[in-house]
Amino acid sequence: MKKNAQPSRKDERLLIKQLIAGESQAFDFIVSEYNNIMLSVARAIVGEAFADEVVQDAWISAIKALPKFEGRSSLKTWLLHIVSNGAKSRVRRENRQESLDDGWESVSADKFDQSGHRYDDVYVWDNATPESLLANDQLQTIIEQSFQNLPAIQRAVLSMYELEGIKMDEVCNILDITSSNARVLLHRARTTLHHSIEKYQDN
Amino acid sequence: MAECKNIAEEASNLLDGEIPFRKRMALHLHLLYCSCCRAYVQQLKQTISTITVLRPQEKDATDTDALSKKLQELSKKH
Repeated sequence: MKKNAQPSRKDERLLIKQLIAGESQAFDFIVSEYNNIMLSVARAIVGEAFADEVVQDAWISAIKALPKFEGRSSLKTWLLHIVSNGAKSRVRRENRQESLDDGWESVSADKFDQSGHRYDDVYVWDNATPESLLANDQLQTIIEQSFQNLPAIQRAVLSMYELEGIKMDEVCNILDITSSNARVLLHRARTTLHHSIEKYQDN
Repeated sequence: MAECKNIAEEASNLLDGEIPFRKRMALHLHLLYCSCCRAYVQQLKQTISTITVLRPQEKDATDTDALSKKLQELSKKH
């Protein structure tokens, strides 16, 4: 699957030099590029109420630590670890492992017979490309709303893995969840978005 | 033998290549004779491609200009 392109190490080294030199364009770039995904991680770990504060603190820690940044990971991954550590310290005493035992079903159980076969027919969608699906404004809004309604941790896993191209083991480290847990959360997020498109296509 | 329900549960892992060999073969065997599950997996694949094109984002009320300026000021002090 095609993932979001990562900036090269060379570009990042230049960016970091510009940041240390205090160039305003470099600050504009990192804030516009990374604030949203940092917020996503903070919300997934600490919840809505403290997320903004955790992200602000993470930015301040990151800027202070920037001269010591060794480039062992990408700048984005480094920032996400800083926000993750800040968020985790806010919920240190809370046992936050996501419970997956909530009766969630990828496809409603009444769609299968006793032997696990589908009752209903599933058809290939006519508009096969993302562009043709997204040409419909109403459907675009439905997908956006469906994304916003996902639990914060599902949005974070989906955003990091699917949109930011962060490897699954790194996603697990950042969110402090197991690989199987992360895979289930990713499947749930994808499936919910699939349902929203499917429902629209059926109407 | 894999059934439709197994496909519904494992479709993401199947698309990401995260399934052990024997289980993967069983799911592929099911897909060979079940057009509904083939369509379902195809739809999920299209959903993933659509999300990567649409790139939905967190709701974010941050004043990014102000934050950028604040960080720039901070960096001058260090």
